[in-house]
Amino acid sequence: MANSALAALESALRDRKLDRTLTTALPPLEQGEDDCAPTGVAVLDGCLRTGVPRGQLSELTGPRSSGRTTLLLQMMAAASSRGELVALVDTFDRLDVASAEAAGADFTRVLWIRGQSLSAASGDTVYSRDGLLKVGRGGGPVEWAVDRALKALTLVLQAGGFGFVAIDLADAPGTALRRLPFTTWLRVQRAVEGRDTACVLVTPEPLARSAGGLTLTLAGQTVWTGSRERPRVGGADVHLRVVSPRRRVGGEVRVMARAAEATADHRSFSVGG
Amino acid sequence: MTGALYAAAGSDPALLVEVAREFSPRIEVCGPREITLDLSGLARLFGDARAIAAELRRTAADRGLQVRIAIAGSRTPARLLVRHRAGVTVVEPGSEAEALAPLPLALLTDLCGRGSAEPVGHGSDLVVRGRGSLDPPHRTAPTRGAGSSDPADGEVNELTATLRRWGLRTLGDLTALPPADVAARLGQAGVQWQRLARGEDPAPLVPAVPEERFEQALDLEWPIEGLEPLSFVLGRLLEPMSAHLERRDRGAAVLHVRLHLVSKTTHERSLQLPAPLRDARTLRTLALLDLESHPPAAAINRVVVAVDPTPARVLQYSLITRPLPSPEQVSTLMARLTALMGEGRCGSPAAVDSWRPGAFAMAPFAPQAESLPALPRRERAAPPALPASAAPQATVVVALRRFRHVVPARVQVEHGRPVRVTTDRRGLGGGRIEKCGGPWRTSGEWWKADAFGVGEAGRAGEAGRSENNTPWDRDEWDVTVSDGATYRLFRERDANAWFIDGVLD
Repeated sequence: MANSALAALESALRDRKLDRTLTTALPPLEQGEDDCAPTGVAVLDGCLRTGVPRGQLSELTGPRSSGRTTLLLQMMAAASSRGELVALVDTFDRLDVASAEAAGADFTRVLWIRGQSLSAASGDTVYSRDGLLKVGRGGGPVEWAVDRALKALTLVLQAGGFGFVAIDLADAPGTALRRLPFTTWLRVQRAVEGRDTACVLVTPEPLARSAGGLTLTLAGQTVWTGSRERPRVGGADVHLRVVSPRRRVGGEVRVMARAAEATADHRSFSVGG
Repeated sequence: MTGALYAAAGSDPALLVEVAREFSPRIEVCGPREITLDLSGLARLFGDARAIAAELRRTAADRGLQVRIAIAGSRTPARLLVRHRAGVTVVEPGSEAEALAPLPLALLTDLCGRGSAEPVGHGSDLVVRGRGSLDPPHRTAPTRGAGSSDPADGEVNELTATLRRWGLRTLGDLTALPPADVAARLGQAGVQWQRLARGEDPAPLVPAVPEERFEQALDLEWPIEGLEPLSFVLGRLLEPMSAHLERRDRGAAVLHVRLHLVSKTTHERSLQLPAPLRDARTLRTLALLDLESHPPAAAINRVVVAVDPTPARVLQYSLITRPLPSPEQVSTLMARLTALMGEGRCGSPAAVDSWRPGAFAMAPFAPQAESLPALPRRERAAPPALPASAAPQATVVVALRRFRHVVPARVQVEHGRPVRVTTDRRGLGGGRIEKCGGPWRTSGEWWKADAFGVGEAGRAGEAGRSENNTPWDRDEWDVTVSDGATYRLFRERDANAWFIDGVLD
């Protein structure tokens, strides 16, 4: 219900062109040949005209299973195959190496910074490998992990030399992200500004974007294949909405992702099947 | 005036170098038992050549060395004579050819085959290192004649056999032949042999430069605590060392930091550097970041820094390949990230040869310029914008977000299939399962079950998938719940416990 109401509201705002930010008032950016990093998804690159802008902070947002990680790994694979260095700040240590390999990432050019993986939570208590930690309202392991990830992101951006840098905050609770001071993102924007780096933020909801960056809002659903008795995941149908006022790009794109071949082969035979 | 020292078998090469260095800074190590040294100017100290030879022999005897000594006007006669005659041989300048004439031709075979007639420092199997030690070389070419299979040895043997067939026995016989005829019949090798037989040097003496010790130390007036004051001390020590390295065209392969503490103990750290470095600021940053992770237990009395030198890097930039961050930048970044995130949490991912779900390894992040492809040629025109209804792509692969610590779940099962999943993890939605596929059974490492409790298989994932080798035996399910999210669940068969492995995203 809430989702449908939100969708209706967004649709109404779009119709009245009220979904843009104040950056719309700024003049459009001149787009050069080298100032974008192609995503590796032809449809999306076509919509974006070349790809994710370099020297800007862009964001990839969407709920769980909307295709955020799929698209992120695709961008990483495309950048590494171009010979660029790629850095992933994995705040909660969620990267599945097999998925990254299936996407075609060249691991020799990928710097993976693994944050703290929090274990099973019960109520307000979170167990980490180091022992029992409390998740309080004011701060706790989650906030601590986010803080360290942001510090790592700043270090990577300041070091330079990377063509594509992403920070994965997709599993961070909204409360923890909203608690971050707004100057955090200004600092990140300043760090990436003028560099040859495309910086992407993966979040559950829109959080921060440079004036010249773009927001990719994802919504997707899993596609099931196989017989009625033995269904299996065949892929995902991902809908992307592109917002980038200063780049004069926008629109909606549909991307169909398929299940990894190894998974599909492995799962052709189920137990008893 | 050049002298040659030839030690008896079984002598310590380091001692021989030490003796030679006492007489001249210009020495050339020709082999483990042979050294040539430039004796010019020593006549004013010791007298004539015989006096120098006697002094050399006495000094060697004091060190317990039995040596042969030959002194001549140039290197080649001295080397040939020292190999042939025991004791002391002194040849007056200008009479080398006469002295060499009766020597057997086999000496040339020995010199060219095993010792090399080339400048010996290049072909010798030892180089002089700091404090007179002799270590295997890192860059020297393999010694000629080290094995009978060396083609150069074959050539030498062939030449020797030819000369023997001609009836030549001594060096004098060879020098008596007309050089033009020798060149016509034996080629350049014959000409070179004839020059050697006359006592002509093929190349000047190339002095062996001892590797210097790159070490700086500072005794502190007052003990210091904390890294901030230490950074100034390190800076003061590393800057002259960096200048020293630059003068010698060397870089640091390993940085050693030794801290003498007030507790009478020593805190020692060694940093393996990914590439030869000599930038003082980079070295200081790396040392400080390492000490931040491994701080000394007490205040510091004395600071010693030393480096293991290695030939400096030669860089060739390219307009074709994309520039990479320098090794200094990469190593500094990695040190900072490791200090921030912890040991083993930064690097390149690596797939491992295992069926274990989620298995992976971490490799050091060391991008190589050679592996980078050329910059792609860019299209002049930007690709046209495609309509939103463009054809869907088929190359994108669905990714999994994997919980490194699997999440325990409560799963309601009906007719052998899960119908509802809930979990205590905040933020993870559960609910009614609308679509599910499975089960897909996977197991492994069961042959190691005796090392661990069987029921630990599922929880092994909690300890980190990459390092454990515990057995697993599970049934996996993909499920889409009512909120639209698709999870990967698994049931640990032995414990009959359910876990969430990850989210398809």
